[in-house]
Amino acid sequence: MNTRMQQKVVLRVVSKFLIPFILLFALYVQWHGDFGPGGGFQAGVIFAAGFILYALIYGVERTRQVIPAWVTRSLLSVGVLLYSGVGVATLLMGGEFLNYSVLAHVPTHGQHLGVLLVEAGVGITVFSAMTTIFIAFAGQDS
Amino acid sequence: MTVTSDFPGLLIYWVVIVLMMIGFYIVISQNNMVKKIVGLNVFQVSVFLLYITMGKVKGGTAPILADGFEVYSNPLPHVLILTAIVVGVATTSLGLALVVRIMDSYGTIEDDEIQALEDDT
Repeated sequence: MNTRMQQKVVLRVVSKFLIPFILLFALYVQWHGDFGPGGGFQAGVIFAAGFILYALIYGVERTRQVIPAWVTRSLLSVGVLLYSGVGVATLLMGGEFLNYSVLAHVPTHGQHLGVLLVEAGVGITVFSAMTTIFIAFAGQDS
Repeated sequence: MTVTSDFPGLLIYWVVIVLMMIGFYIVISQNNMVKKIVGLNVFQVSVFLLYITMGKVKGGTAPILADGFEVYSNPLPHVLILTAIVVGVATTSLGLALVVRIMDSYGTIEDDEIQALEDDT
């Protein structure tokens, strides 16, 4: 499948052009989640879609060179750790679990920071989970 | 404001029921396991639709505080379905992984062929 895909010049050029914009849009959805529709789940899936498109066009082996297995595997836990780390940090700073208000001197600033970090954790984990699932299935026969 | 007098009316319930029955029919009628999983996903999407449309408030905007907007859609069903979508992805990938394992050990993913292989042994 991959060798046939690699011969399609139009697909290769167009996707090479599109992938940076897909990743940029994912980052926009991620960081704009405070003020508009968006958030970690959506951003993670869109970010993973960029890598999945790359894997579809260039093959799983080359994708694994771009993002090796140990990277996705550790990012999976980094996201969960970031999420729960924010919760533990709020506990240590004198609030309830995931009570963002205590993170900064001004409660609203703390809430902004907390949501940003938690959504970043969600985004990282969703991204690495989606890529891992796709590559695990697509890399079956190689 | 009565809901039934407006154009969409109860249309969404018909859409949900038709989609749900299509998915259910695919699950019980197809022998191919990948098609069964597709059917399960169609079934699942019908439930998502039911919940998401329930959260819509007439004239409401996205539930983000802003000047000039006073009516917001109900975000609770949306968040619930966000979680359900994630669970759906997880169950789909688990089902596909099981299909891959079945393909490895039986050489087929057709339900009746596997049944025939089982009966032979």
